[in-house]
Amino acid sequence: MGAFNHGELTVICTNLRKACEKQLRSEEAALFGNLATYFSGKTECPGQATLQEIGAVIDEELATLYPQANEQAEAAGDRGTKRALLWGEKVTRLHKSFLMRLERNPKLLDETPVWVCESCGFLFVGAVSPAICPICKVPNIKIHKMEVR
Amino acid sequence: MMVASRNLRLCTKDCMCLFVCPTGATDTESGQIDASKCLDGCRLCVDACPGGAIYLVPRNYPKPQPKREDVVKALFALAESKVKTRALANGLGDDYPLARKALDFSLEVLAEDCVREGGYMLPQSVVTKEFLKDLRERYGDDPAFPVKAVERLLDLL
Repeated sequence: MGAFNHGELTVICTNLRKACEKQLRSEEAALFGNLATYFSGKTECPGQATLQEIGAVIDEELATLYPQANEQAEAAGDRGTKRALLWGEKVTRLHKSFLMRLERNPKLLDETPVWVCESCGFLFVGAVSPAICPICKVPNIKIHKMEVR
Repeated sequence: MMVASRNLRLCTKDCMCLFVCPTGATDTESGQIDASKCLDGCRLCVDACPGGAIYLVPRNYPKPQPKREDVVKALFALAESKVKTRALANGLGDDYPLARKALDFSLEVLAEDCVREGGYMLPQSVVTKEFLKDLRERYGDDPAFPVKAVERLLDLL
């Protein structure tokens, strides 16, 4: 456990917070939320980043991390992990295409909304969200329009 | 132990749950079932609901499926990369406020999915309890660390 960085500790805690919410354990959810806030505040910020830098990390994931993980999950017969990898890899390809579109047109989101599925991370640029998430098939009540104040 | 809960998105207000509930737990101003009045495992409302809008929330859960060590390692390598991408996305600056927000949210979901499949699925699991104890050990000296939250979670889970 000593190996986890603050960003990883944050998502472990937010994941457990969401699991508690689904079990309707609101006190436990709030406590995991407190822990997540603590680790989120400590998370190392790398400073100014470019679209290309993000794209480079994604390329590496698609070239090595996903294929390796898929192979191991297949060998282990771990269908839960295969599901996570299948959805994750699809969403990661969408991230890549999103970054390339932004690079070509930095004003992409000035006129068109962007949406994210809370269940699988599906990211979509368009006027209205699809009725059902094309990746995880959840109804679009869980696909949220991103807004900034 | 199981108590009933209403999925308000599915509830069609046919009120059968009000007729069958022996304690009045289903009749509340919030529209949600009062868990403190609900009889453990009774399920009369669950079976009576024509909309299938009431379900039982378990309190006890079985041990999670064992995970192979190399799979866990691969999932955590991915989680680490997602966290790194997320930090970079947050460094995109003010030119891309919406893109930053969308990537941050999407990457949070992806990273969470990796750690969930990597063993941190169930809050009541041994893995989670060991995790909390390790946090207390490692961060307990920091006055800003919410150590009381950890203690309370260890009591509750």
